[in-house]
Amino acid sequence: MAKTYDYLFKLLLIGDSGVGKTCVLFRFSEDAFNTTFISTIGIDFKIRTIDLDGKKIKLQIWDTAGQERFRTITTAYYRGAMGIMLVYDITNEKSFENIKNWIRNIEENASSDVEKMLLGNKCELEEKRQVSKERGEQLAVEYGIKFIETSAKASIRVEEAFFTLARDIKAKMEKKLVSHVYNDCF
Amino acid sequence: MPDCSENYENEISEGHNVRSIKCKFCNSIILKPSVASFTTVQFQLPLMKQTGGTNHPETEELSLFWMVTDMLMFENVGFSNTVGNNKYLTCADCEAGPIGYYDLSSKKSYVALSRVKHC
Repeated sequence: MAKTYDYLFKLLLIGDSGVGKTCVLFRFSEDAFNTTFISTIGIDFKIRTIDLDGKKIKLQIWDTAGQERFRTITTAYYRGAMGIMLVYDITNEKSFENIKNWIRNIEENASSDVEKMLLGNKCELEEKRQVSKERGEQLAVEYGIKFIETSAKASIRVEEAFFTLARDIKAKMEKKLVSHVYNDCF
Repeated sequence: MPDCSENYENEISEGHNVRSIKCKFCNSIILKPSVASFTTVQFQLPLMKQTGGTNHPETEELSLFWMVTDMLMFENVGFSNTVGNNKYLTCADCEAGPIGYYDLSSKKSYVALSRVKHC
């Protein structure tokens, strides 16, 4: 059967446990079903199809749930990953501080040209906020990556985050393709 | 509301799904028309709503499935962690499931007709 998509991007969600990565996994239905059976077994990955500038893109998204500590996330896990969504919880200071450790872990284990994005997730109430939006922005600038604050309940921002990451990967791939063609010609 | 028929005969044309396959609960698109093949196979699929513990999940024997040979044929779907030789399939949006299963050895995915809607 003919390929029904233009690109396949493998993405990882990385961050401390309890930052709501699972609810970032496009889980924005108000009445999430959450049966005991599925939630006990856990979700390994999801396949999502998005349309980006006329191209059909398949996203294969892995959550790190269950192997949270940096030590256990090694080269094997990062293999083939083209994009990494670094997630912290804006109501959890520690999860924000650990982003630096996660970035170090990525630098040591993942491909150097993996596209990264910082995502401040808000699964709870604004009153519980411990990390200001400015600090998130500042950290992203420090590492030269994009930043977005989302709420898993506000579906649009979550979707926007994945679109942004996918668009950056696509642009990088096309740029690489063009430079290859250029090098082959001259 | 679109007509979401329970009469499966009208859903199959030349062995494929006539209409889109969607989540019963949140309408998330799982498979586009004509992508899946109708197949009959006996499988004990755990119930979506369990009353007891998950060590011995209550199951029902289902036999009518939509099959795809490549997981990338799905529009949107979730794969559970592995249980034995299978992964269970869920809705990617609301995580309702199992809506079917994935066979690790054949790499084929099966979506139960009775666990999804067609519209």
